[in-house]
Amino acid sequence: MEKQVLITVSREFGSGGHEVAAELAKRFGLPLYDESILDSIAHKHNLKLDKLSRFDESPINIFTSRRVRGFSNSPEEHVSAMQAHFLQQKAQAGESFVVLGRCGEEYLRDFPGLISIFVLADREFKQQRTMRIDKVSAEEALELMARNDKRRKYCHNQICQGKWGDSRTYDICVNSAKLDIRGTSDLLEAYVRARIAAM
Amino acid sequence: MLAAQICAVVIFLVMFILLITEKLERQVVTLSCGLATLVIVFGLCLRDGAAVLQTLSLQSFLSPGFWYRIGEAETSSGINWETIVFIAGMMVMVEGMAASGFFRWLCIKLARMVNFKPTPLFFLFMALSAVLSMFIDSITVIMFLAAVTAELARLLDMNPVPFILSEIFCANLGGSATMCGDPPNIIIGTSLGYSFFDFITNTGLIALVSILVVAPYFYFFFRRELVPMGGRAADPASFPDPRQAITSRLGFALSCAIFAAAVVLLVTHAQTGLTVSTIGLAISLVTLAAAGRDALQLLRKIDYATLLFFIGLFVTVSGLEHTGVLELLAQLIEQVSGGNVYIMIGIIIWGSALASAFIDNIPFAATMIPVIRTLSAAQGVDLSSLAWALSMGTDIGGSATPIGASANVVGTSIAAKNGFPVAWGRYCQAQTLPTVLVLIISTVIIFVRYL
Repeated sequence: MEKQVLITVSREFGSGGHEVAAELAKRFGLPLYDESILDSIAHKHNLKLDKLSRFDESPINIFTSRRVRGFSNSPEEHVSAMQAHFLQQKAQAGESFVVLGRCGEEYLRDFPGLISIFVLADREFKQQRTMRIDKVSAEEALELMARNDKRRKYCHNQICQGKWGDSRTYDICVNSAKLDIRGTSDLLEAYVRARIAAM
Repeated sequence: MLAAQICAVVIFLVMFILLITEKLERQVVTLSCGLATLVIVFGLCLRDGAAVLQTLSLQSFLSPGFWYRIGEAETSSGINWETIVFIAGMMVMVEGMAASGFFRWLCIKLARMVNFKPTPLFFLFMALSAVLSMFIDSITVIMFLAAVTAELARLLDMNPVPFILSEIFCANLGGSATMCGDPPNIIIGTSLGYSFFDFITNTGLIALVSILVVAPYFYFFFRRELVPMGGRAADPASFPDPRQAITSRLGFALSCAIFAAAVVLLVTHAQTGLTVSTIGLAISLVTLAAAGRDALQLLRKIDYATLLFFIGLFVTVSGLEHTGVLELLAQLIEQVSGGNVYIMIGIIIWGSALASAFIDNIPFAATMIPVIRTLSAAQGVDLSSLAWALSMGTDIGGSATPIGASANVVGTSIAAKNGFPVAWGRYCQAQTLPTVLVLIISTVIIFVRYL
């Protein structure tokens, strides 16, 4: 790709944001950075992945963390900082990519090629997808959605200037329930192409 | 008085909650609460201008005893300027030492002495951490030691966490050994009039016995992790050279000399009559003079936020003291202990440890000093026994959790920045048992030696 494009996809749990991000990455021939970021970091530091992944996209607990002269004991904050460093290094090297969640739109905000997307969906749509994919009951699906969205929201809002899910934080917000995953991906592909043309 | 007491307690609790939530800078919290204490408690409720002046304690600078003192020291309340001047002076000296490359040079020099072999390095860095923390604040010690440890661990293909966790524990333990090692000790020493020598012969002895127990403990606990992780260790020839750490030969020599002079002055301050404020001021002036054109840069690096935090804290605690709330707390301890000195000391040491494991030990120590003073006066218990119990409880209790002491936060943060995040479970698994062991040792020694 001639111009640097950094597509960030934030999402509600069950909205299919991950699939949309993967589809965009495939259509534009870009790498997708999701939990795979931690794979790379773990490999680099010769660490076990689970030592890092348990803190992935998790909020900082104010009762179990403390800050002293700019140092913080919060593993969640450090894992997030490692991911930020990883993404910024890739972006500074001129690479184009798609990043799923992980406060990508905040960490990459200074790069002109940033296109930030938020995928939401109707509750019923998200519930049905969660029941199908995670093989859980309707109630469990609702609980899973609520728990994960709460975690993502707290994590995002602790780090980012804009609020999670607030349309002012992103370039475009789209309800994936209206066009389904494929239709949403088509719409977003067209949007990204228009943005690239306007760069 | 009741309204004043309620206001003082509410302001104090608000301060603690705001400090825990970290929504605001901690100096903003304590200064705001200090101002609220002066206006609401002393002004509106008590209408006591004398209490305001006593709390601000500005007259202490004019007192000869603030700078030079022979014999028994007076106990003080309000803003403890002696602590603040001393800490500021030590900050200047430490900045000067850091700028010259002293800490990095010392760590690498010692590591090279044991040929970078993991087990001797493990014991050596624990000892270094404890000894340095006796004279320099544990945050600075861990900041440099953990950074070098992480660098060496990377070269040796080892996990730095066992090293860093044991260094943190020893920094807190070393800090408990002297008057200037840990902020609670400085506050206890200057408020109750104890010298460096008093601390080293009392808490120092407890720390020495404790380190002889915890060093082997840490070795057995971590022994399986003191081996390469399976990757490729670097060629020893590529290991850092201590000489490269020195940024200026003259600055380095002067730093070493100033540090040595500071140690001598602190060790002998009861004999020379020089107070810690005089020593702090003197070493800072000499460091600034030695820094020459870089003096302004050193002054800019001082952690003013911490100094302001102390000022606000002392004022807020004064609100509790003047309104008699701390006397009520002392009476509560009296009632619970039934006047039994063993139970009283047990409550102070274990209660302080429990509180310090979760909240900042500096405000806790500042709050408890008037309490033990009241207990001693009311019950006829030797004040020094209570002081050593408070010192060990606050200094050691902080080791139990990742947020209990500043050194823990800095050390685990450096480990995480190097790719090794330390979760609560992992931290507590390693540190809780030695914390309990040291508290048991402290309790037994205090019981046997003083009661």
